[in-house]
Amino acid sequence: MPPEAPLAASFRDPAGFVFRRDGVLLRAIREPGRPHYDALMSSGLYDELAAARLLVPHEEGPAGAVPGDAYKVIRPEEVPFVSYPYEWSFSQLQDAALATLEIQKRALRRGLTLVDASAYNIQFLRGAPVLIDTLSLRRAVAGEPWTGYRQYCQHFLAPLALMALRDIRLGQLLRVHIDGIPLDLASSLLPFGSRRRLTLLLHLHLHARSQKRYEGRAVAVPRRKVSLRGLLGLVDSLESGTRKLRWRPSGTEWADYYEDTNYSPEGQTGKRMAVEAFIAEVKPGTVWDLGANVGTFSRAASAAGARVVSFDIDPACVEKSYLRVRAEKDERVLPLLLDLTNPSPAAGWENAERLSLLERGPADAVLALALIHHLAIGNNVPLGRAAGFFARAGRSLLIEFVPKSDSQVNRLLVTREDIFERYTQEEFERAFSGPFEIRRRIPLPGSGRVLYAMTRRPSQE
Amino acid sequence: MIRTRAPRLLAAGLVLGTGVLTGNAAAYIDPGTGSYIIQIAIAAAVGLAFSIKVFWKKIAAFLRRTFTSKKGGGPDAA
Repeated sequence: MPPEAPLAASFRDPAGFVFRRDGVLLRAIREPGRPHYDALMSSGLYDELAAARLLVPHEEGPAGAVPGDAYKVIRPEEVPFVSYPYEWSFSQLQDAALATLEIQKRALRRGLTLVDASAYNIQFLRGAPVLIDTLSLRRAVAGEPWTGYRQYCQHFLAPLALMALRDIRLGQLLRVHIDGIPLDLASSLLPFGSRRRLTLLLHLHLHARSQKRYEGRAVAVPRRKVSLRGLLGLVDSLESGTRKLRWRPSGTEWADYYEDTNYSPEGQTGKRMAVEAFIAEVKPGTVWDLGANVGTFSRAASAAGARVVSFDIDPACVEKSYLRVRAEKDERVLPLLLDLTNPSPAAGWENAERLSLLERGPADAVLALALIHHLAIGNNVPLGRAAGFFARAGRSLLIEFVPKSDSQVNRLLVTREDIFERYTQEEFERAFSGPFEIRRRIPLPGSGRVLYAMTRRPSQE
Repeated sequence: MIRTRAPRLLAAGLVLGTGVLTGNAAAYIDPGTGSYIIQIAIAAAVGLAFSIKVFWKKIAAFLRRTFTSKKGGGPDAA
């Protein structure tokens, strides 16, 4: 690939593209994007949005660094870990939605508009949702409707309504429908009572019906224009509809884990101290906490100086963790939803628009606390394969071995035959000694559990 | 009852409304046509409501200011 070729996900917009030079992320602005970029900068909108932490801040690139036919190069602040809407909790998606509308509102007041409303253009940077596609802000044409309207409904309003009013797991439809949930599908899945909410009736149900009505038909071009008042009203209506959607996390499998477990207080303290010591020793820039629950140990790692992506399978845990991140204005912990037995795949055009989990790694360090039994017994993953996965995920590993005698393992075996003869501490050490060097064993008081600090062998690089 | 009926009446108006919002210049538009057309109808309806809301907020702010200054109090009074 030539050094200044657009990145694989950056191909739709003729106004510019994103590329890397010497590892640095840059955005080239082509001639078609020039008037829009200049308007963004001269209107005061850039300064306003950057100050409000709604738009990723950038510097104008070094002179002479302009590739090909580009007009200008800018260097946006890089997002440390790119995440996708199907990995966000309810409130993360809702905050991303409200940020999109806030940006559109402020843009309209300065004579610009958001040309699209893709959830993939929002990323979490230092704890808050920001727009990363600087070139999606364009000069507005008077009377033109909002081109991002359909996308907003598909990427944000439909999944939020389905999650809030039908089932939280329906957020995962975003993983299949990369341009947002088709509105006819959303409309048919939503409870009938959702039609009593005016905003959902208008923007989802009637919107879906209107799409169906005009689908593939040659029709007359609408002669009515949309006034600025109409556009602001539209955003206001979407905002009120989005804000009124609520989901309270409760009743899922893991949300009350720490209230329903067999850890002794000494075990918890010992684990926390081990995490802090591990982080202090390894000094990782990025940590992936896999199976993080509500993020208790992610926060211990973050307090010790790391930037942590805190993954869990349970939407309630991720939601609780995010609400805490938001309340505490925590800039270093990013909670995300992830099923480790089926992690986020590479998706989109040429399987290259959205990266798989492992393509976004490796992390400097991985925490896998109280997790191995779920993989090895809950999902029948052989210990050697689990070790291989962790070696791809991170350079250092702090992993907790949970013996078969543990009540949590017994719980997994209550209704199934024990075919896991090789699930022993010896086998665990043997399997992980392949890709890792075991540096330390830390028994946790009050349980038969042992923490292992490991470093990936150079042969695994 | 009013709460449940009002959206339906508005909805019926919008469905009928989309039919009269189009002109004669026939052209093929992409599958987003339905989104485009309903947006124009919704924007016309909510634009008015939005203006009333903004106007009402201004009145409320004015009254609040008047009320506070008459009492001679308020956070900046010192």
